[in-house]
Order: sequence, then structure tokens, then C-alpha cells
Amino acid sequence: MQTYKAPLRDMRFVLNELHNDDGFGDLPAHEEFTPDLVDAVLEEAAKICEDVLLPLNRSGDEEGCHWERHADGTTTVRTPEGFKDAYDQFVQNGWNALVTPPEFGGQGLPESLGKMVEEMICAANVSFSLYPGLTNGAICALTAYASDELKAAYLHKMVSGQWSGTMCLTEAHCGTDLGLLRTKADPVGDGSYKINGAKIFISAGEQDLTENIIHLVLARLPDAPAGVKGISLFLVPKFVPDDAGDPGARNGVTCTAIEHKMGIKASATCQMQFEDSIGWLVGQPHKGMEAMFTMMNAERVGVGIQGLGIGEAAYQSAVWYAKDRLQSRSLSGAKYPEKPADPIIVHPDVRRMLMTMRAYNEGCRAISGWVGRALDAEKHGADAQTRARAKDFVALMTPVVKAMFTDLGLESASLSVQTYGGHGFIRESGVEQYMRDARIAMIYEGTNGIQALDLVGRKLPTDMGRLLRSFFHPVSAFIEESKGEGPMQKMIEGLERAFGALQLSTATIAERGMKDPEEAGAAATDYLRLLGLVAMAYCFAKSVKIAGFQLAFGTQEKEFYQAKINTATFFYDRILPQSAALFLAIKSGKGSTMAMPEDAF
Amino acid sequence: MTISKVCVIGAGTMGAGIAAQVANAGVPVLLLDIVRDEADRSSVAKGALERLKKAEPAAFMSKAAARLVETGNIEDDLAKVAECDWVIEAIIERIDLKHALYAKLEAVRKPGTAVSSNTSTIPLEKLIEGRSEAFRRDFLITHFFNPPRYMRLLEVVAGKDSDPALVASVSDFADRALGKSVVVAKDTPGFLANRVGTFWLQVAFNAAFDLGVSVEDADAIGGKPMGIPKTGIFGLVDLVGIDLMPHLKVSMSATLPAGDPYHAIAKDHPLILKMIEDGYTGRKGKGGFYRINKEAGKVKEAINLQTGDYAKAKKPVSIPSVAQKDLRALVLAKGIVGAYAWAVLGPTLSYAAGLIGEASDDILAIDTAMKLGYNWKYGPFELIDRLGSAEFAARLEAEGNAVPEIVKLAAGRPFYRVEGGVREYLGTDGAYHPVVRPEGVLLLEDIKAASKPLVKTASAALWDIGDGVVCLEFTGKMNALDGEVMKAIEKAIPLVQESYKALVVYNEGSNFSAGANLGLALFAMNIAAWGEVEKLVTGGQKAYKALKYAPFPVVAAPFGMALGGGCEICLNADAVQAHAETYIGLVECGVGLIPGWGGCGEMIERFRDDPKLPKGPMVAVSKAFETISTATVAKSAANAKEIGYFRPTDGITMNRDRLLADAKTRALALVEGYTPPTPPTFRLPGAGGRAALDLAVRSFAAQGKATPYDQVVAGKLAWVLTGGEADLVDTVTEEQMLALEAGQFMTLVRDERTVARVEHMLTTGKPLRN
Repeated sequence: MQTYKAPLRDMRFVLNELHNDDGFGDLPAHEEFTPDLVDAVLEEAAKICEDVLLPLNRSGDEEGCHWERHADGTTTVRTPEGFKDAYDQFVQNGWNALVTPPEFGGQGLPESLGKMVEEMICAANVSFSLYPGLTNGAICALTAYASDELKAAYLHKMVSGQWSGTMCLTEAHCGTDLGLLRTKADPVGDGSYKINGAKIFISAGEQDLTENIIHLVLARLPDAPAGVKGISLFLVPKFVPDDAGDPGARNGVTCTAIEHKMGIKASATCQMQFEDSIGWLVGQPHKGMEAMFTMMNAERVGVGIQGLGIGEAAYQSAVWYAKDRLQSRSLSGAKYPEKPADPIIVHPDVRRMLMTMRAYNEGCRAISGWVGRALDAEKHGADAQTRARAKDFVALMTPVVKAMFTDLGLESASLSVQTYGGHGFIRESGVEQYMRDARIAMIYEGTNGIQALDLVGRKLPTDMGRLLRSFFHPVSAFIEESKGEGPMQKMIEGLERAFGALQLSTATIAERGMKDPEEAGAAATDYLRLLGLVAMAYCFAKSVKIAGFQLAFGTQEKEFYQAKINTATFFYDRILPQSAALFLAIKSGKGSTMAMPEDAF
Repeated sequence: MTISKVCVIGAGTMGAGIAAQVANAGVPVLLLDIVRDEADRSSVAKGALERLKKAEPAAFMSKAAARLVETGNIEDDLAKVAECDWVIEAIIERIDLKHALYAKLEAVRKPGTAVSSNTSTIPLEKLIEGRSEAFRRDFLITHFFNPPRYMRLLEVVAGKDSDPALVASVSDFADRALGKSVVVAKDTPGFLANRVGTFWLQVAFNAAFDLGVSVEDADAIGGKPMGIPKTGIFGLVDLVGIDLMPHLKVSMSATLPAGDPYHAIAKDHPLILKMIEDGYTGRKGKGGFYRINKEAGKVKEAINLQTGDYAKAKKPVSIPSVAQKDLRALVLAKGIVGAYAWAVLGPTLSYAAGLIGEASDDILAIDTAMKLGYNWKYGPFELIDRLGSAEFAARLEAEGNAVPEIVKLAAGRPFYRVEGGVREYLGTDGAYHPVVRPEGVLLLEDIKAASKPLVKTASAALWDIGDGVVCLEFTGKMNALDGEVMKAIEKAIPLVQESYKALVVYNEGSNFSAGANLGLALFAMNIAAWGEVEKLVTGGQKAYKALKYAPFPVVAAPFGMALGGGCEICLNADAVQAHAETYIGLVECGVGLIPGWGGCGEMIERFRDDPKLPKGPMVAVSKAFETISTATVAKSAANAKEIGYFRPTDGITMNRDRLLADAKTRALALVEGYTPPTPPTFRLPGAGGRAALDLAVRSFAAQGKATPYDQVVAGKLAWVLTGGEADLVDTVTEEQMLALEAGQFMTLVRDERTVARVEHMLTTGKPLRN
């Protein structure tokens, strides 16, 4: 059964306790967001997610979206039953505009808080999350690159949720390699452009939730250089605003079909046709990739959060079943002699699955909170150095969040199905939907392979490893200050070993990759996971340190902190040792990966 | 004939510069010019001397050198020519004035005194018209390049009456004392370098106009990928002065024989004439093909060759990576890259090859002239080899152009080859001949072609250079020093001890070494691999001390930049034989560090042992502190002696090509009865001394000369140099000094401000003043 209660205590721990000493400092701009206010926001968010979005998750999956052609030749997409009402309620309460800029009507809440709410929305209903999520990505790009006129005409209504946004990159023949893009944009002469071309895989390209849809479209100008350096970004509304700013004439944008997909079926994935559509340039000519990447980077963190959200929902659904399902007796003797069998949660292998999911979720959430703080510090940090360091950290961790969170999200979903046994394979259990929904997150917004390449090929070599500093230095300092006597020594030694493996792997990749980029490419995915595991290990060790203090000083929340220590210890015992294996794999080099002649495949 | 005094007549840029270089060689020089001011009759030469002292880049290598120049005027002082063994005429290029001067010289010079002209345009035959037989016998042309201290080429032209022994003596002096590479040219217009160079510039200009190639693109294609300095052609002309171009054209057109291919390409481009008219003569004028637009906020702009308008310099055309290394790929590259490359190279190389027989009988002379006179990385014949002499000939033929005789003679064979370890060149007889180095010239390049290294690591190699001497060569990128260099040193010690007599530290890169591999260090710092950084420090200390106390002599032979760790290896050697153009210094403080490979203790030892300095524990410490904390870099080997990086007994070699042989000789001279030095002990002033140094730094800070972090770094340096916890009653051993040094180094490495400095230096090439 799909069941979900937002893990509010853990979220508060991450937001208020875990990262206080991360060096980004307190942000004066966020002083008004006191822990009380943050709590209130989290609780209200939990309510709408649990009460409104969660019940629509399975029904939306069963029903899917409906593509409809009308008598007048126009086409529309109808979202599953209940989505429109849910969206209206969502927007009315401002959940879509939590972190958007106040100057356009947003609430300007901290990103760190926003990421927690995002996690809840994704856990409750990942298909639904895409509609407001893409709008926020588009708002990001427009805020950073659009002219004042465009901002004035569009941003308020997008921020209010009245209008939505999309990003139109992919074409049938090009996804990862956008340099091959064909959609054209011809200047009309009045400052606008005519856009012609076809796009595929456009999430929320057409829907019945908002009165207007604002597409951000990548296209080529007539004088564009070949490749990615000749791509520009255009704003193309479904309805061109009239003088009053309301949706006016219908633009030449048509949804020609929606995709039949493995998962996220309640999200409309559209094929879009642009025929002499009117559009306006966003940013500089030929600099579209830069603008699109602003949006893309924000989206990549968001996609990682989807993995975490699904992982948490899968975990909770598995826990519910493991306590409910009675099968066999505990290996150490019956635990519930009055019942015909013990609940399966008594079995070590079921425990292994539950603890693994739990450790993944808590570890990822801790990283998400850290990156969230960095996102805030990047904007509001006290001085230029802090802002620069925060920016470096976000840039470094974005591919890790995107790829590792989504990999682990699928793994959790799969473990959840496994916990259910045969029932997990049956639609009605609800958990197989998590596996299907989780799968796309490893693919879109840059496949996880691309994320790993981004990490080793771009992020790692920048200025002789400058970005790495934002992560390696705090970890190194933490190890040094925590070394010595005390109950945490075993854990710190484990962290030191894993960190050492990461340092050596980093140096190895840097050295070999400089001579042979394929070496870096072959090591990329393992390296990304290694870095992610060390980040989790660091967060867990910090958590244990905090929990130790709390327990020593007689906290009222003994159970929470003790559970934190248990989860962390499980992570160190059973998951972190993977770092040694990853190091060996990285060290082995590209040889056996690339040796097989193509013909032998 | 020995040359113990020289006279230079004509104190213009060239004459004065030549005089300075003679003085740099330690030879007294008389600098004469005309009388312009009755009140101060030698004012012209005196003014020139004053300008020389302030010249940038410096003309003199030391203050002592400047004192060797005596000024005078040709009316009152010409008689002093009798004291001189060589008179160099470097006056204005007017035959009548030169004739008049020579006539006067005939009267005053002592017989056998060499007289040479620095002319670049007037044939020798014309210069000696009307002169006595004795004068003609002692006369030659010695054509220096500007600036005379730094440009290594000297073209020597002997007349048919010139005394070969005298020409040899002058050439030998120019070689050994002045450090020049002498190239023998025939008495033809422009001699070798300018003959080819003028043609090359004209062709490159024409091609850019004809093919519609932008200035930026032309320089990107015609610069680095061809092995030509990255300024490219237009950037180079901006540097030397655009107004020179029409002069070159007039002079060459007037003097070159009819039928010379130059006549067909010579032309004045209206845009260039207009630029000169408007004062856009290059860097010395309002700007040139490039200019810095200060109004727009120091924007680099380039001129549009079609319209004459300036616009922000564009990122040049991208050159395929294979074409950046392979000249064949460059001339075959698609679009303007290949078209322009061939349009420049085809005619230029063809012209240079056509000069064999007429201007020189020797492909080596032409290659050397272009490499040393125009800073080409490869000479014309080496470039043809890179294109393939067969392919080169085939393409010329296919395009209907004449194939030069020497290229026909090569018949597809390369102009250079290595046969049995010997580098050979193609002679005009169609046979290969070994490249014979002058006596006393030993090049590692030749040894490397002929043998295998004794030991090789990723960043260094050991070579047997004969007579029981081993050469330690740095081979890493920019000769950066790292653990792999230290590994080679560790291997060198037992190897030399067992089977050889001495070690020299030398290489043939563009610089001796700019120090430790900072990029590697920064990467280690970024990933918090402190253990690795510490290993780099202590490993280096250990290796350098192993050199110092090795049971055989070690001679360092630095040249160019020898900074940081590159300086410290010299400090740890038994002796130094330096090229005159050595820029040595301990520059660590600039990147927020202190010397980490023993430099701190070595500098104290130097100053302590300096007989010219007063005794007492504070003197050496303050001198070392001052030298290191201000990251002092010597501007020459002679200057390095003045500063204290070199000992008074260390040797200086003027000619770069003679450095290895001189270092080897020096090392062998130390072999007999060699005993390694005894490790020094120090008496250091401790806390009291630190207070004094701290006071000095604070006053620097108060004057705005030291930043807050400079003070921190200086504080760490002071801690080491004053002996840390020690005070005057304690004896500090060398090992303790090294431990102090490593300890303070490691605290700096872990400071974010040091990381920021290192990163800034690596990413921008400039120091960060934080």
C-alpha cells in the first residue's frame, strides 16, 4: 500500500541542526525564517502532500493523461481526474511559489526549506511535481536572462501559478548532443521571431491545469554557427498575451501526441509542433545553452530530489508491509507467539532491505539540506568568498545529487518491491509504480552517465580542482578534529579510509584523465558514487556527533537520536565499505572496459 | 689576437646596446658619438649611457658592467681608438658618413685592430671603397640584432680581402665573450635573417589582404602552430614598428638583384601607409594592428584590414588540434587555416631554400639565423622537413611554382637526419655531413640523439655526457620539479658514486626550472592531501641534501629562470656554472609559501660566509629574510652574485651553447681530492631577532608595501630563519632548520589565503596581493 508521512523530524534535524557549522554562516536575508516558521511551513506542506497529492498518485498512474483532438482541429491534453482541483488548491496556498523571488510575487523562502517541501511533493506524487517544477525552472531562466519587458509580461503570472512553463530542448534526433538541433528561429523585424520545428519529450507541453503555457524553446537563428555555439533560447507562449496582459491570440504551438511511458503516467509528455510560432529571444543570440543550463542545473538538483522522494515513499510503504505481513518465525525464536507467524520485519534480510533504504534516504536528505544551504549562500552569503565557495559546492554536488539520488531512489523502490514479495509485483500493491516512476529520473535532465562525465570532465579539473576544495576541506578538517579517543573512533576511521580512497581516486583520475580522457570517462560513474558515499558518510558522522551530545545532555527525543546513530552505524558497517570496492574498480583503469573489439559485441 | 678593449662608434640604440654587452663580458669599452653640445662635447654618448642604465629590459647585467663603459666623442677622443683591439662602427646608414669615419680611423687605429660595421643594408664591397689594403684586411661586417644583449644572433660577413685569422678572432670573441652564435653570411643584401624575414613578413601581409584573413586569425595561424612566437606576424610588426616596413621595402628593392622573387611580392598596402601617416606605428605609437582601447576599459582591439576600423579583438579561428602540432595537417587544414598557412609557408620556405648558393652555402646558417634572429622555433629547412621535402616539392610543382635547387637535390630526402646517433645535414654536394659543433660546445640535444638515458623517470633523466660526468636533466612540463625529479636524484647518487666522477644539473628547456610543480601541489591542496604535500616537501629536502653531501662534486648549470626549487638546487650544489642570462630567485613568498627545500638554511649559510658582510648572528638572518621575503629575483647571473644567490667563485658562461661544456669542466676540476662539505650548524637569534624582523615588516605594511597576509607569511619565514624556539646559546643543526622549514611550510599550505594565491598564480599567471 502506498503510504507516506513526511519525515518532519528528520527534515528539521537537517535544516536546524546538522549543517550549522558548514561555513556558509547565518544568512541575514533569511533571519525572518525562524525555526518556528519553518516548522509551520513543513507541517502545512506535509498536509497537502499527504491528504491531497498522495491519494491521486495511484489513480493518476492508472488513468494517465488524455490527448484529445477537437472538432476545430485543435488538440488538448486532459490530466487525470482530480489533478486540476489539486493544482488549484496547491497554487492557491502558494506551494508553487515557495522559493520564487518576491519581486514577482513569490515568497522568497530559503532553498534549503524548498528542497524539503519538494521532497514531500515528489514522495506523494512525482507526476504531479513535474507541473509546478518545470514552471519554476523556467522562472529561473527568465529571471536570470530575459529582458525587463519579458519579465514584466510573464513572470508574475508564472510565479502565481496561473501560467506554467516548459523547457523544449529535445528533438527526435538529438537529446544529449544538442549541437545537432534543427528548430529554426527567423527574425520578423519587430523584435519577435518565428519559430519552426518539432520537439519531443516535452513535460507538461500541454495540459489543462493553467490558462497559458510558456515554452522556453532552443532554436537556431539564420546566421547561427554550427554546433552548440549556435543555439539561442526563445520564449514562446501558447497564447500571446494581449494588451491587457491576458492570454490573447492562439500561437502556432500544437501538441501532436503524448508519449506512452513506463512511468510518471500522470505527467503529460508531449510531442510539440512549432509552426510559425511567435517567440522572443531570451538572453543573447547564440547563448541559449548558457541560459538553458541555468534552468538545467536547478532542475538537476530537483530531479535528484525526485529520487529521494520516491525512495522515502518506497521505504515507508515497505515498513508498513513488513510490520503487517506475517510469515515464518524469527530465527531467534517466535517474537509474536500469539500470532500465526511473526511479521516479516523480524527477519535479518528484510531488516537489511529496510535499513538500506532508510540509510539511503537519511543520507541523501542530509546532502540535500547541505546543498540547499549552499544554494541560499550562493545568493545571500555574507561576503564574496562565501558566495564563491557556495557556488563551487553547488556546481560540484549537482551531478552527485542528480545521479546518486536517482540511482538510490530506484534501488529503494526495487527493495520495496522485494520486501512485498509476489505482492509487490502486483499493480494493486502500489510499490511497483515507484519502480516505474523512479526509472525516468536516472535518464532525463542529462542521463546519470552524463552527470558522471560532468563531474570528472568538467567539475574535477576546473582550476586544478578548485571546486573539490569546497567539499574536501570540510571533510578533512572534520576528520582531523574528530580523531582521538572517544566512542566515534571506529566511525571516524571508516570515514578516513573512505575519504582516503576518494582522494586517491581523485588524484588517479586527474593524472590519467589528463593524458587520456577515456580513462576519466571509464572511471566516471564509480567515482561519482564514491564521492556521494563519502558525502553521506560525512553527514552521518556529523549526525552521530550531534546525537551523542544530545543524548549525553539528556534530550527529550532519545528515540530520534538513538535511531540516527543506529542508521549511521548501519551505513558505516554495511554500505560505506563499497568505497573500497569502488576505489579498486577505478584503479583498474579503462583497459577491460574498452578492450573488447566492437565486432565482438 | 686578444681583444682586451673595444670601441663602439655610434651611440644609438644598436651601438649603445653593443657597448653594454661588451661591458657585460667584463671588457672595457669606449663609446663614442658626435659632438652635439659645445658645453658638454660628449653629451650624446653620455646620454646614451644614462639611457642604457635605465633600459627595460636591462642592457647591463650588473652595476660593475656599467662602470666599464667610457664615453667620449669622435672629435676629441678618436685617438683612444689606438688602445682598442676592435672598433665597431654603428653609426647612421649613410655611406658618405661611414667613409669619412673610416678615413679617420685609418689614421688613429693601431695596425691589426679589427674594424667592423654593424650595417644591415650596405654591402661590404661599398664600405671599403677607397680604403688602404691594411684596412681592408682588418675589416668585416658584424651585424648584431636588437636588443644586442638578448638576441643571440651575430651575422658575420668577411670581404674577399679580409684576414681570415682576424675574422676568426673577432668571431671567437663574439662567441665566447659576447655569447653570440656567429653565422657566416655572404656579402648579399639583408644577409640571411633579414633577407628571409623581410620576405616572410611581406608574404604574410599580402596573403592576409588577398585571402581576407583577419589580423587575429593570421596571427593564430601564422604564430604558434608554425613554431613562430605567439605574437604572430602582425603582433611582431606592432612590436618592431610598422614604419619600418616601407623602409625595408625600399632598401631591399634597391639592393636585391633583378629577378629576385622579392620584387614580385614587394608592395605597400595603402592601409599600412595610412596607419603610419596617422601615427599608428605599433606599440611605440598610438597603436598598430592591435591597440588597447583604454576608453572602453582596456579592451584589446584589432584593426579590420578591409575597412581600417578597430573592433574588439575576436577569438581567432580554431585550429584543429592535430594541425597545431603537425605542420602537414596545418597546410592541409580546411578553410582559411590551411589556405593561409600554405600561402605564407610555401613562398617563404621556397625563397629561403633558393638563397642557398647565393647568400649562403649552408642550410645550417640559414636555419640558425632565423631561429636566433627571428625567434623561430624551427629554421626554414627544418620546417620543410616537417612538411616533408617530397610533399613540399610536389605541391610547389603542382601549383606551377619553381622548386628550389636544393629541394630538388634533396629529392625527397630530409634536410636533417640522425644517423648512428649523429645529427647530419644535407650539404650542397647532395651528401649528408655531420653537424659539427664548435670546440667547447657540448649540447645535450646531441647526446640525447646518440644515446639512451642511464635513468629515466616521469620528470627527469640522467645522461652520460662523457669523461665520467653525468647530467641530471629535468624533463617535466616547464621543467617543473616534483617527486619524480627527486626519484631521479636518489637514483643518481649511487650510480655516480659507483661508476662516474661528477654530476651536473642542466637541461635545454626554455628555462632551467621555474620551481616545484605548483599545479600538482594545488591539486593536492584542493583535495586536502596534506600528507602528499608534506611528502613533496620532505622528499625534496632529502634529495637536495643527498646532492649536497654526495661523495662527488655536483655542479648546477642554470640559465633563464631558476626559481623556487630551481634556485634551491643551485644553492645545494658544490658550485654553479651559470649562463649569463640567468634569472634566479626564491620567490615562494609571492604565492604565500616559504622556501621548502632547504633554501632558508642555505641562504643563511651564504650570507654568514660572505666575507664582505659584518659578522654577528643577526646580519645573515636579516639579509636572508630581506632577500626571501621580498621574493627577490636576480636580473642576470652577475646580479645573482651581487644578491648572494651565487658565490663569488661561481662561474658565468656568456654563450648558452657553451654552458654544458663549461659546467662539465668545472665539475671535473673539483673531482681531485673532493670532500663533501661538513653540515653547518647555526647560532640563531630566536625571539629577539624575530622582534626586529617583525618591526621591519610592520613598517613595510604601514607604507602599504606589505599586505596583511604578506605579514603572516613573513612571520613564518622569520620563525624559521631565527631558529624557532632556539636562542643564541643554542646550536641549531641543519636538520633542525629543515624541520622548522617544513613545519612552517605546512601551516602555510593549509591556509586558505595561500591556496588562493597559488590558484591565482596558476590561473592568471599573476601574483595575488591578498
